[in-house]
Amino acid sequence: MPDQSDIAEPQARVDLPDTGTQTRRAESASVFWLVVVGGVLLMLLAWLLPWFVEQTASGVGHSPMDVIVSAPTGVGWIAIWALGIGMVLLIAGVAYDAFAVNSGRVEPFRWSRIRAGIALFCAACTLLVLVLVTSRSELVFGSVSANALTDNAVWMMLAGSLLLAFAYGLRPWVTSHGGLAFTAVAFVIGGLFPLMFNQAPGFVVWGAQSAGIYVLLALGLNVVVGFAGLLDLGYAAFFAIGAYTTASMASANHGLHLPFWVLIFIGAAAAGLFGAILGAPTLRLRGDYLAIVTLGFGEIVPDMAQNNLFGATGGPNGISGVDSPAFPTHGSSLDFGIFGINPRPYYWTILVLIALVVVLLRNVERSRLGRAWIAIREDEVAASATGINTVSTKLLAFSIGASVSGFAGAFFGAMLSSVTPDNFQFAVSVTALTTVVLGGIGNITGVVVGAMLVSFVIFWVLPELQGWMGTLGKNIGVQSLGTIQYSDYKFVVYGLVLISIMLLRPSGLLPSRARKVELETGAESEPLAAVQERA
Amino acid sequence: MALLEVDGIVKRFGGLFAVNDVSFDVDTGQIVSMIGPNGAGKTTAFNCITGLYPLSGGDVRFKDVSLLGMQPHRITRLGISRTFQNIRLFSYMTAVDNVMVGEHCRMHAKVWDDLLHTRRARKEERAVEARALGTLRRLGLERYADVYARNLPYGLQRRLEIARALASGPTLLLLDEPAAGLNPQEKVELMGVISRLRDDGLTIFLIEHDMRVVMGISDRIVVLDYGEKIAEGTPKEVRENPRVIDAYLGSGASEGMRSA
Repeated sequence: MPDQSDIAEPQARVDLPDTGTQTRRAESASVFWLVVVGGVLLMLLAWLLPWFVEQTASGVGHSPMDVIVSAPTGVGWIAIWALGIGMVLLIAGVAYDAFAVNSGRVEPFRWSRIRAGIALFCAACTLLVLVLVTSRSELVFGSVSANALTDNAVWMMLAGSLLLAFAYGLRPWVTSHGGLAFTAVAFVIGGLFPLMFNQAPGFVVWGAQSAGIYVLLALGLNVVVGFAGLLDLGYAAFFAIGAYTTASMASANHGLHLPFWVLIFIGAAAAGLFGAILGAPTLRLRGDYLAIVTLGFGEIVPDMAQNNLFGATGGPNGISGVDSPAFPTHGSSLDFGIFGINPRPYYWTILVLIALVVVLLRNVERSRLGRAWIAIREDEVAASATGINTVSTKLLAFSIGASVSGFAGAFFGAMLSSVTPDNFQFAVSVTALTTVVLGGIGNITGVVVGAMLVSFVIFWVLPELQGWMGTLGKNIGVQSLGTIQYSDYKFVVYGLVLISIMLLRPSGLLPSRARKVELETGAESEPLAAVQERA
Repeated sequence: MALLEVDGIVKRFGGLFAVNDVSFDVDTGQIVSMIGPNGAGKTTAFNCITGLYPLSGGDVRFKDVSLLGMQPHRITRLGISRTFQNIRLFSYMTAVDNVMVGEHCRMHAKVWDDLLHTRRARKEERAVEARALGTLRRLGLERYADVYARNLPYGLQRRLEIARALASGPTLLLLDEPAAGLNPQEKVELMGVISRLRDDGLTIFLIEHDMRVVMGISDRIVVLDYGEKIAEGTPKEVRENPRVIDAYLGSGASEGMRSA
């Protein structure tokens, strides 16, 4: 019998890299850079916005730069110049910082302080312009009254410079508490968003109806694809089930008028139930086979709705006249009535729904169930031999993922006040999957960012691009820029996003911890090129 | 009554009898080894016992309960846990998370507890993490708790797999070639680990090729060849069994050894 004392000491005295903390730091650093890049982009966009904006009849534009021309007081003139110079310095500083980090140089912390100072200065200048715009609009901008685009430019500038001030002023904290920093930024900016763009209700509608919905869809799909590793290509089906359930219980269609706040949970439950019904017979399948079955399901559901299933779905016209949600205080002394067509209450509602879903999913991620999902994703045979009921655990992933999209569907139906089969085509599933892949499969923060980016590009930039390009074309003398239907190219964008993310950063913009390691230590199977090189 | 009774199990793949009418018992508190040449059906027998393969015939009884038709996770819950010949850890989970997955079937948190992070779930989570760290310490892996499983050296990965198997609180531990790929020093340590687990009250049933390991720690040995049991007994009995020598060294070898 060997000496038992040598059991306690591991024989291999290799010094393993502490990959755990390393990757945690890497993830937080990427949150820092996300905030910085977001800030710079907002500032640039604010400054460049007038390039894309139609000028008014009186010939006076809406840009902060036009203040230089038209400001009679001189204050606006100085503020704008100072802002411009500060911005150029700031962007140069950020570029140098990125360069220094990339080449591994460590610069003194005080440089970050200086950048934060410049950013605060920019914010102050912007505030001054904001005051001029709102209180003395006719003096600064001639006959133009408070204008949506000026307003947007000023708010974007303010948000961008404050983001940079936050990131650089609290750099060590942002780097060490990435998730918390991101949540703080997201909720402050997210909560104030409708107030910032109070002159551009269309943007708030986008925020609730496109960004909000796709963030929810991405969060739900991430449970299925990211946590449990089950490829679901028909996720829109559950979205449709949530929407149709809600719509038929809150419209003249069946004469039912249940309150919205009950219905979102009924919609979620219905979608979750169908998730389980679809999952039960199919989850014994693996990988590609499951993907094909879900693809089929995703096609069947809108088709059944199209064919007016049991006379309940209204055929191609869908269900219209869905009740507008009422404030929860409806009927009491504090009655604010219904949401109606004002986008703000919808926006804040979906923000609360997202917060709720994020909290619940974060809890699951770090629990018995979350570990079981990841174990199944890693090795299903080992998971079952370790005592995990793989069928019921996968079923739960399917069901929980589906019910999140049921939430989204219920909200969607109520906000649009109608649901039609066209809203739930394959493109919706593809968009949701793109957001998850882009943001970082398996990482909650990542998929939220991915969903916002994709919905911004697809549902805001592309539709608006024709107008912007038209103005730009007029300014630079290329008229043909304004004649292209840019939204026709959304599938090109999906394709480009998917190809470039797979080539450049296969684990997504903000990878989950495990995927990050996978990327750093190399994939399981070595690529052919590596083998050929050796031969 | 033995802890595990394997009663005439048959596993057929098409026309091939991978395991044919094999019977043996594993008694509580023993270390029983299964040996045999490559392709003798040892791992297949393991997979049949743990429910990964459905049986073509025969019966397996554990604590007098038939395991016939039971799903692998149910069998694990009854108290049989195993390791794999080709290591099957959850590569992109840390060592401690791997062991915590092993605790899965001992945990009671329901979906709602996990979603809402209830006090009950938090309390259990803390307890399980502490217990998992204890299991790692038991196998000398506590230094590597936060290291991803795939980044561990091979020998430690084997040991982590044993830790994960222990986490489900088994009474019977099945080890599929635990010494494969280890260097002599690691093998000695492994023998220490296994016999210490037995001293802690576990029953161990293992497949092994390395005769030094098998002969050194086994109480009983079962020998398979071409899917059939050809011998069973103490290490000494098995070593002197002519059919075993034939199976390992070719027919006639036992004659030669006797005359030599």
